Amino acid sequence: MATTVVTSAGIASEAPRSDFGRILAQRERRFAAALLAPAFLALLATTTFPLLFLVYTSAFRMDLAMPFTNGFVGFENYQVLLSDERFWTSLLVSLVYTGSTVALQVIIGLALALLVIDMKRGQGWFRVIAILPVVLSPAVVGMIWRTFMLAPEFGIVDFLAINAGLGSKNWLGDPTLAMVSVIAIHTWQWTPFAFMVLLASLASLPEDIYEAARLDRASAWQRFRRITLPLLRPAIVMVVIMRTMVALTAFAAIFTVTAGGPGTATEILNLYAYRKSFTELSIGYGAALAVALLIVTIIISGILFALRRAK
Amino acid sequence: MSGQGQVSFRNIVKMHGEFAALKGVNFEIKPGEFFALLGPSGSGKSTTLRILAGLDAPTAGRVLIDDKDVTSTDARDRDIAMVFQSYALYPHMTVAENIAFPLEMARLPKAEIASAVHEAARKVKIDHLLDRKPGQLSGGQQQRCALARAIVRKARLFLLDEPLSNLDAKLRLETRAELKKLQRSLGVTAVYVTHDQEEAMTLADRMAVFMSGEIQQIGTPAEVFARPNSIDIAGFIGNPPMNLVPARYVDGDVIIAGHRLKTTTTTAGERDVVVGFRPGALRMTEGGLGARVDLIEDLGDTAVLDLDCAGIMIRMRVSDGNIPGEGETISITTRPQDIHLFDPTTRMRL
Ligand SMILES: Nc1ncnc2c1ncn2[C@@H]1O[C@H](COP(=O)(O)OP(=O)(O)O)[C@@H](O)[C@H]1O
Ligand SMILES: [Mg+2]
Repeated sequence: MATTVVTSAGIASEAPRSDFGRILAQRERRFAAALLAPAFLALLATTTFPLLFLVYTSAFRMDLAMPFTNGFVGFENYQVLLSDERFWTSLLVSLVYTGSTVALQVIIGLALALLVIDMKRGQGWFRVIAILPVVLSPAVVGMIWRTFMLAPEFGIVDFLAINAGLGSKNWLGDPTLAMVSVIAIHTWQWTPFAFMVLLASLASLPEDIYEAARLDRASAWQRFRRITLPLLRPAIVMVVIMRTMVALTAFAAIFTVTAGGPGTATEILNLYAYRKSFTELSIGYGAALAVALLIVTIIISGILFALRRAK
Repeated sequence: MSGQGQVSFRNIVKMHGEFAALKGVNFEIKPGEFFALLGPSGSGKSTTLRILAGLDAPTAGRVLIDDKDVTSTDARDRDIAMVFQSYALYPHMTVAENIAFPLEMARLPKAEIASAVHEAARKVKIDHLLDRKPGQLSGGQQQRCALARAIVRKARLFLLDEPLSNLDAKLRLETRAELKKLQRSLGVTAVYVTHDQEEAMTLADRMAVFMSGEIQQIGTPAEVFARPNSIDIAGFIGNPPMNLVPARYVDGDVIIAGHRLKTTTTTAGERDVVVGFRPGALRMTEGGLGARVDLIEDLGDTAVLDLDCAGIMIRMRVSDGNIPGEGETISITTRPQDIHLFDPTTRMRL
């Protein structure tokens, strides 16, 4: 009997409180919505609307060089695109560029972080110097490399190549070397980012588990493979995702260094879309290319996020 | 087991810059022994254990295991297992993977590993938790996991750095008893670091008492309890620890607050001493040392009295039913064989 009374009393006193909580939560939600609205509208205006407009444009033939042919064409741009060899080449260049720059950034960044974490002195200085390329504008980086680093005979890289007995190379004129160069430039600029993220993550790992692993007779390599790498995995995956998104849509550095050349050797999909739209003035087809890039980006990020969740 | 687990420390010194964490430490551990390193916090116990494990190198001196000089041998090659105070479990591995790790490093066949992991987990009663990650375990369960990881490999030496200090009081007592049984059944040499004298007293076959980077006494718990080497050890061991009272020694007697007490010493002469007697060695008697009862701590089966003897504070343990009231004046004495004499300047036993 007594218990029944207590229970019902408990429920009775609980009900108004949860009601009150609901009202409070509702008010809070409304306030949050009010705060969010301006930013949300700005976002709509600057990203969603242009995006929809891009998709809309891609359904038209809009050729500024031949305006008399303009008009609605539906999916024709996409049909053309699928049999456009230059599109497939640029997609391949994009994938090679993205894959190699991201892999290099992670590998070099991780190697540097592993080296620096054991440095007793000068770690702070190293971090400051390492971060410099990241704060430069990619266009500036492109200019620096084209003039100071890769210029024939006087550029540092060419100078070193000559002294190493390789002879002067046409770094930006040879299709393969040009590709290598733009990959090197992107890697040079963005490896410090991976380095900083991985260094911070590495510094947060507890030291005692490494001592335990030593006593458990794990070699340095086993400690790296079985402990460091799994514990860094979230950070590495995060770096890969962020850098992949950026590499897929890279533009300024390549544009200033090779402009996609020689020929189409370094023409990533993004650059092809730009050239089509603003050099050849086929706005409609350029828009279709940009949409294709968007789809590729979404697919790849989807795969990466799925990988992140796995295990 | 690849060795006996016999350890000897020869004049081990460890400097941190100018600061000497260890000032020349010597001890021998016999195979199969449960050896405790006891001492207050900061006295150099962990440093000693880490040097034995090979995690730190000594500044000077030699470490021998099974008569082989291992001073410059890497921790990997010493065949030593250790339970860290922080447990140091691999956070990304399950309990089973944690326990299996040392065996995988030793390249044992998979089937053998699985059965050894179950065996070790069963011994410390965590075989139902094998699929959990360390983050999903309670402190006591983490401690057991660390223990299982250490015993699974059957190393020749088993080191424990304050393994019970992160457990609550009840669990600490339970685990303490289990630990002792486990060590006995494994027959392995164990080195056990603790700042808790009760732990060392109950667990150890022998113990080394550390005071500020030096070992002040080595012996069985009973020996150290019965004949502490110095004032510092006397004041550290026992609960509550020994009463230490400055007094005057005159021809075989000591004079405390004007009262003469017989000792077992017969040397003639007069000098200043520090007199030690355990709280449990005091008796109430007629015509003894007069003392006022300041405070009574009742522990149920016994009581500890804080006594005031003419300004000197003395603690006394009473276990029979006749406990005086606070504020009462009583008269106490102790037997000659229960009196310890120390030199007030060298602080050593006389
Ligand atoms: N890396 C270090 N640098 C300077 N002093 C240290 C270092 N490690 C330990 N010490 C000092 O050495 C002394 C002994 O430490 P430790 O062996 O950890 O004591 P404990 O007996 O509590 O385990 C302490 O005073 C500690 O401050
Ligand atoms: Mg310690």
